[in-house]
Amino acid sequence: MTKGILIFAHNNEYVDYAKLALVSGSLAKKYLKMPISLVTDKHTLEWIKKSKIDSDINNVFEQIIEVPPPVTNNNRHLYDGKDKSLVPFTNINRCSAYDLTPYDTTLLIDSDFLIFSDALNNYWDVCDDVLIAESVVDAVGQHRLGHLDHHISDTGIKMRWATTVMFEKNEKTRRFFNLISYIKDEYEMFADLFRFNPLQYRNDISFSIAKHIMDGYTEAETYHLPTLLTVLDRDILIDVKNKDLIFLFDEKNETLAGKIQGRDVHIMNKQSLIRNASNILESI
Amino acid sequence: MDKRLQEALEFSKYKNTFNIQHKTLKEKADAQLTYGHNGGLFKIDQSLITFVQMLIDQDRIKNVVLLDYNNNPTLVEDLNEFKDEIFDRYFSVVNEFYASVTEMKKSRSVEKLLDL
Repeated sequence: MTKGILIFAHNNEYVDYAKLALVSGSLAKKYLKMPISLVTDKHTLEWIKKSKIDSDINNVFEQIIEVPPPVTNNNRHLYDGKDKSLVPFTNINRCSAYDLTPYDTTLLIDSDFLIFSDALNNYWDVCDDVLIAESVVDAVGQHRLGHLDHHISDTGIKMRWATTVMFEKNEKTRRFFNLISYIKDEYEMFADLFRFNPLQYRNDISFSIAKHIMDGYTEAETYHLPTLLTVLDRDILIDVKNKDLIFLFDEKNETLAGKIQGRDVHIMNKQSLIRNASNILESI
Repeated sequence: MDKRLQEALEFSKYKNTFNIQHKTLKEKADAQLTYGHNGGLFKIDQSLITFVQMLIDQDRIKNVVLLDYNNNPTLVEDLNEFKDEIFDRYFSVVNEFYASVTEMKKSRSVEKLLDL
């Protein structure tokens, strides 16, 4: 039984997902000591060469799996502190993880999820086919999160966070990923059924619905991956010292300083993560 | 601004930074105290440690079934090995947590809290 980690990276003109994947993959390889593969496209591969990170990418990832660039008219606002940009959301092909992964058991992580511990190694042998992060916790406090961070809509089911997903290849998970693909294709119909806003496609919503259906339309007492420690995109990663990530947190329009160390963390402000990519890579 | 108010606000900022760090350290300890064994997941806490030690004292050591945190039965083939693992992990995590909090309490400014 092979085990490994899978990361998707499809660059757009605003976000260098390849660089994020390099940071995220390097940390995951260091702390989990597992092989890692990258799913990407030819444009991103060209950029990897052009930006001269190809040798680093080849050192970190044992396999680079090239797929066609995802086509999307899906846009979303990305914040970098108080600045915001409307950017294309290209990360829509995660439902193909089942077919693309070279591993029997796969940990699928977002490229903005940084691993600083071996906590996820506890979950490889847990008796469940699909494990997803059950909830999020905000680095500053839960008061900064809203109902829609925990549910897919005002009246909807619980939100699972597809930032981290672990799955074993078998018939049940094949059906699970096929269902996610169907939900993606029929997103508006599912929005009617589950009463969420379909304007922007979200992997978290598709995974949440698929899990809900596969669990028999219940809030089943199943295993799940650890709660995600999340730093919001209005917070800014300003420095990395040794293994400490130093942030400026936006708290009720005031700025608070704080640091996170030794804890796996989901950093939603991608631009500030890219600005500090070299510092993080040097600290590994 | 009145000096008394300014001092209070400065302390308030320090306290907010302190609380964020304390919270993330606590969550880090919580994550480290989750232990996967033979398909089950256990939260290592004082009651698990006490229960396991009690079973060992009763000579129930081989092929013991424990309920994990989802109340699923999990076979532990050798409870002594299991106990050694959870003891080691519990004390290394709690000692690290203690050292970090003690260090934080000595830092009386935001700059020192952040090692700037």
